[in-house]
Amino acid sequence: MRGAQVTKELEITDRDRARMNNKFLQFFRFIVLNLKILKAVDRSKRA
Amino acid sequence: MKVVIIGAGFAGHTAALYLGDALGKDHEITVINRFEHFWYVPSWVWVGIGRMKVEQTRFELAPVYEKMHVGFVHGSAVSIHPDDRYVMVDPAGGGEQQKVDYDYLLIATGPKLNYDATEGLGPKHGFSQSICTAPHAEASRDTYFEQIERMEKGEKVKFVIGTGHPSATCQGAAFEYITNIHKDLVRRKLRDKAELCWLSNEQAVGDFGVDGVMARYKGEMVTSEQFIGAVFREYGVEWNVQRAVHKVDESKIYWEDASGTYGESTYDFTMLIPQFTGGDMRYVGTDGEDVSERVVNAAGLVKVDATYGLPFDRLRTNPTAWPELYQNPYYENIFAAGIAFAPPGPISVPLTTPNGTVISAAPPRTGMVSGITGRIVAKNLIDLITQGRMTHGERMTEMAAACIASMGDSLWDGSAATIMIYPVVPDFRRYPNEGGRDTFVTHMEMGLGGAWMKRMIQTTFMHKLRGRIGWKMIPE
Repeated sequence: MRGAQVTKELEITDRDRARMNNKFLQFFRFIVLNLKILKAVDRSKRA
Repeated sequence: MKVVIIGAGFAGHTAALYLGDALGKDHEITVINRFEHFWYVPSWVWVGIGRMKVEQTRFELAPVYEKMHVGFVHGSAVSIHPDDRYVMVDPAGGGEQQKVDYDYLLIATGPKLNYDATEGLGPKHGFSQSICTAPHAEASRDTYFEQIERMEKGEKVKFVIGTGHPSATCQGAAFEYITNIHKDLVRRKLRDKAELCWLSNEQAVGDFGVDGVMARYKGEMVTSEQFIGAVFREYGVEWNVQRAVHKVDESKIYWEDASGTYGESTYDFTMLIPQFTGGDMRYVGTDGEDVSERVVNAAGLVKVDATYGLPFDRLRTNPTAWPELYQNPYYENIFAAGIAFAPPGPISVPLTTPNGTVISAAPPRTGMVSGITGRIVAKNLIDLITQGRMTHGERMTEMAAACIASMGDSLWDGSAATIMIYPVVPDFRRYPNEGGRDTFVTHMEMGLGGAWMKRMIQTTFMHKLRGRIGWKMIPE
């Protein structure tokens, strides 16, 4: 898909760095990620 | 009925738990494994930098199997006799070979680490480090500590991490290793003494052998190439992709790139993932003839209900070419799960250099994919034994996977890239977008929450795989 494709650079800003280490925000993201994984598993679980 | 499972990694051990739980009291379930422990392989990236002891990544199999009514043979399977339905095993303690009969066989041996396919690769006969086995991870840690001592004396050290074969897979583990080295060096205030380089066979950085990922991030659609590229720039990692490593010596790595140009990279410390092939077992017919062609492909991976031999363009548009039941078409009582099954082809676009070298990252079948395929086979075996027909199936074009790539293990200031993909193999019929995946479920983000996820997953998986209370509720 992305073999020779030129893509725009993504930049990690100071705001991103702060978000990535903010304990309260990351706790919220941790909950969201758990729910997302359960959703992904549920969606794929044809077996 | 007798069910034999060869291998007790994610696929084999998951299958053993389901089979033991459902059939263990009334039927004979046996696991053959050359190690007496289950090893939690994903944590070896931390062992390789000395942030975790190898003992924390394992538990003894025998007590779990006793609880789950599963027999355990500690030894290596040396030959499979599919016409006569038995396996010959070399016991770990030595002595005469043991014959283990079966009605159904699940081959879940995991990979043979084929260092011999690249000259000078590997810690045993070559020059590179590895985190693919526990002793290798410990040896890598010791060599890493030697580099730390050099840096503490003021020397500059160059680390090259990535893949050591044009068809290697498991780039995620190498990615975790290089980002954890970065974090560890920052913690030791030695980062300015190190040069970190990524060298891989991926088509693009962030490809991971799954044709990359496209997901919404900060409100716009971004590719994993942009995402992982941003991580590497942030961590000061120089990257080179589309590289086929041909040879490693004591100070250089010799590679060929997609344009056919040959080049070399110097290093002080290198960890390169080797090619994965199938196990070394022989497949023997009733009269002693070799029947391996019916069971395995040239790489020793078990042929299953996939459509093999399709050109890449047709495979890409044909999701049903991917196996559903993981059942051998010739011997219908033989199944394979995890890395042991032969995929019908690559997920990422293969490249052929003008010199004829094929650079093609193999599809990843580790971790979650291994566990899921193990569960599917186990449930079908339960069906076959109790009802006489199979009712379960899941292709990699229908399977979700989560990859949590640690970028620092600390629960206070660590980080991880969490990448969720659904389906693992793009299905352009169901998802006619550029990535061929469900854009609601497919997701990428990074942050401290991912580091917590990574640690939580190790704890919950170890709980599940020990067969402790509620184990079936924890997804693979």
